Amino acid sequence: MVTGMQTPVFIDDLPDSSAVGSRKSERYRQVRNRALAEMLLDEAVTWHERPCPACGQDRASSRNFSQALMPFQRCSACNTIYAARVPDQRHLDQERLQMLSDLPPEPADSAKSTREFEFVSILNWLRLTEARHGKPLNTVAEYRFSSQAPSLPQTVERIGSTRDWTFLPLSDSGSANFGDLRDHLQASSPDAVLLYGEMDRIAEPAQLLRVVRANLPRGSLVFIATSCADGLEYEILGADSPSFVPLDRLNIFSVGGFSALVEELGYKAIEISTPGRLDAVILQKYFTEIEGSDVPFWSGFFRSANKDRLHDLQILLQRSLRSGVMRFVLET
Amino acid sequence: MGQIRHQAMIKHGGFEVVAACDTHTDPNAEIPVVTDPMRVYDYDPDVIFCCVPNNMIPDVVCEALDRGKHVFSEKPPGRNSDDVRKMQAAEARNPALVLKFGFNHRFHDAIEDAKRLIDAGTMGDLYFMRGVYGKAGGANYAQNWRNDPAKSGGGILIDQGIHMLDLFLMFASDFPNVQSVVQRKFWTDVPVEDNAFALMRNDNGVVASLHSSATQWQHKFTLELYARGGFISVNGILSASGTYGTEVLNVALNRLDKDGNPIPNPESQEIRYTVDRSWDKEITEFYEAVVNGAPVKCGTSQQALDVMLLVERIYAADPAWSEQRTAAIAGRW
Ligand SMILES: [Zn+2]
Repeated sequence: MVTGMQTPVFIDDLPDSSAVGSRKSERYRQVRNRALAEMLLDEAVTWHERPCPACGQDRASSRNFSQALMPFQRCSACNTIYAARVPDQRHLDQERLQMLSDLPPEPADSAKSTREFEFVSILNWLRLTEARHGKPLNTVAEYRFSSQAPSLPQTVERIGSTRDWTFLPLSDSGSANFGDLRDHLQASSPDAVLLYGEMDRIAEPAQLLRVVRANLPRGSLVFIATSCADGLEYEILGADSPSFVPLDRLNIFSVGGFSALVEELGYKAIEISTPGRLDAVILQKYFTEIEGSDVPFWSGFFRSANKDRLHDLQILLQRSLRSGVMRFVLET
Repeated sequence: MGQIRHQAMIKHGGFEVVAACDTHTDPNAEIPVVTDPMRVYDYDPDVIFCCVPNNMIPDVVCEALDRGKHVFSEKPPGRNSDDVRKMQAAEARNPALVLKFGFNHRFHDAIEDAKRLIDAGTMGDLYFMRGVYGKAGGANYAQNWRNDPAKSGGGILIDQGIHMLDLFLMFASDFPNVQSVVQRKFWTDVPVEDNAFALMRNDNGVVASLHSSATQWQHKFTLELYARGGFISVNGILSASGTYGTEVLNVALNRLDKDGNPIPNPESQEIRYTVDRSWDKEITEFYEAVVNGAPVKCGTSQQALDVMLLVERIYAADPAWSEQRTAAIAGRW
């Protein structure tokens, strides 16, 4: 049994800047911002104000992060970035379902293999953590990521995982207070739950974490991947970061903030990493493409950095838990 | 070594050091220090920690066991397999006592994690292992008892390389097939090897290659394990001197193309270990064995014998060296 917390670094080929552009295109951003504007005007949507979703710090002592469309704050206690007003979960889910049905089908060939490498990375993450932790994960429940990534179940099937997976998609019915997840956990007690990219998008992340812990046996594992507010990209670019799409990023937790939250809820963090691969290329693209985007030290650094140096920086960011995405493994 | 063990005992608790034996007395010592090894028994200890030159180990260990003391001995377990057998006989005469040898590399966090990954079956069948362990010989190399074959039994292989061999034996069973080159390049005024290269195969077809060196000029520890489904490497090993670097484990699982062939350079996970907990874990295991009768898992006399036989096989597999070594031990060099 592993004692103590581990902070793995995920080393892989660095994508070039073309991968960044295709991921969060400007068009996608516009579509999402239009959807948010419509929600703001929709009288059926209820909004509520909230403090920092990680540490509960009052909004009054936080710093302004963005005022475009709606207020986002950066917590001065834990560095988490958060929407200070959030819509009710039901409308968020409905809007997301609509968006997913409007999306074009997943692209073929090269982009598809990039996507598949991401899935393989997730599956290998589970396999290696399972082995180091000495606890077989025979059954895994995945919540809602398969709606964002419809080819995930096929990849899982094809790669021949020996475990039983259940994919619980985003649904319009039965998901109030995450009741669909609660029912599944009560009925099947999986060994692990995967929450990939979900923490960013929900109005009450603590509520989801409570439901998971309350309905799993002690000693179960929860694998969480989410954006990370400590990432260099967010630190340098703030709300100009191309990864910041307000409706998809209601919560951008910091490592410290999320650690405090899960501890408060009774979890034990056994693994924390920031396995992002894109911070350096995103920043290079930003500083070479946007005229007049001068920041002391960094703009010059990124304009002159070659691929090798970007790779070194990216690994350093990971080792320092300073990349723009993070992964947590929690024990219930 | 005695100091390191003492610190670990204090940290663990439950030990009371009643006396120490050293080559000279220390007027400032907080515990009684004697120079005659037999005098430690005046203090009626329950346990003896044996940190003496290799040639003295068998007598000290056997004496302690026959006087009813549990024994923790540093590695190597004597100079050769005969020394180990002598100690095994004393152990057999005193079945209620614990005998454990300090092969502490098995307790390093990176090594334990590597073992878990292999044991879980995640990596698939083990194909081969590569181990490099080396240093720059050090001050007073020629004067050090470690390099007097009559006292030590050999050079860098038996002193440092033995740890790597012990790890090889932990990951795969015995290696009956051995080829080797053993040589002396830099310290030519002492009759022990400063480099040993070994290529070994066990009956399951697992191949292991070792390079143990005193002329590497940098301190280096690398253990690589290649398996059907991926690979593991451990670079650096946390040590008392801190000169072998941070312990870093890298592990990768293959990514397969659509035909099921591994795509080169899979994503790897790097885990860094910065705190050396091996001494504490080793002391804990010994304590549990003595006080609660728990089995010794690392550093048993059988493991000591296995690794000593492997050392001898490596020396013997290079005929030129073997001849020279026999002469040296007999004082005819
Ligand atoms: Zn906060």
